Amino acid sequence: MISGRLMKEMDEVKELVSEEVRDDTGARLGMWLFILSEILLFGGMFILYSGYRYKNPVDFHHASRELDVILGTFNTIVLLTSSLSMAASVAATQRGQRRLSMVLLMATMALGLFFLAIKGFEWGTKIEHGIYPNSPTLLARAKGEVLFFGLYYMMTGLHGLHILVGVCILCGMLIFIAKNKMNRMRFVPLENSGLYWHLVDIIWIFLYPLFYLIT
Amino acid sequence: MKPEEEIRKARYKTYALVWMTLIILTGITLSAAGWELGGWTVLIALAIAGTKSGLVLNYFMHLRSERLTVFKVIIPLVLAVFLVFILLTFSDLAFRGGVR
Repeated sequence: MISGRLMKEMDEVKELVSEEVRDDTGARLGMWLFILSEILLFGGMFILYSGYRYKNPVDFHHASRELDVILGTFNTIVLLTSSLSMAASVAATQRGQRRLSMVLLMATMALGLFFLAIKGFEWGTKIEHGIYPNSPTLLARAKGEVLFFGLYYMMTGLHGLHILVGVCILCGMLIFIAKNKMNRMRFVPLENSGLYWHLVDIIWIFLYPLFYLIT
Repeated sequence: MKPEEEIRKARYKTYALVWMTLIILTGITLSAAGWELGGWTVLIALAIAGTKSGLVLNYFMHLRSERLTVFKVIIPLVLAVFLVFILLTFSDLAFRGGVR
């Protein structure tokens, strides 16, 4: 009789041990707290931007006219589309559509790299014209324009770095899905990577009108 | 699968609609920059950017279907902190001119 009870308890313990211990809500909350800190990181720079723009409205307008609005708008569309494929990729994993999820994830990464290529081309053209931080051509200009381009390189540069990190993270997620470590029952790391990707998209949503569309 | 996760599943169609709205709003931002509205231009641009962010947060980032209150307060909290920073900075900038 004792052994019978013992067997039953053993079974219960086995059941408890076999069920993986994890806290999905906690993991998501942690990601959201990280996002909060990221918003404040970029927020500090946005405040710096608005302070300098408030002091130098005309110089900011002139400097902004030199940026390529067509490329900026095109990049906005590229990044918004990558957010769509990212969200759809998470949804596909949640439904167990592994192949679709992988294709969408690769599309997201490709769009991210495409964004960086366009950004690099934009930077390259500006640098060719002698406009880069501390360049003699730039320093000869009005104070407000120097500030504008300083902020432009700093903010789009930090944003580009976030895209690059995002692509690396998504690459890791792709490997996880391929190895079936991420699937219908376990997808929170992929979901959190998606949150990060969308955050980077939101930051660009603000950078775009503030740098390319000053009137 | 837990029921909570079942609810958080969104439809592809919803995502596609949100994406289309985001593209249309980008077009509006672009054309609004051409209107001669003076100081209103930047406010319109920021309002549209805010709307776009709201769509991304609620649909792509599923904030809309999060059930716990703690997720709902994160964005208002960060906006409140940000507003305090802005007010402090601009109260400094606005009154700096008087001192020589």
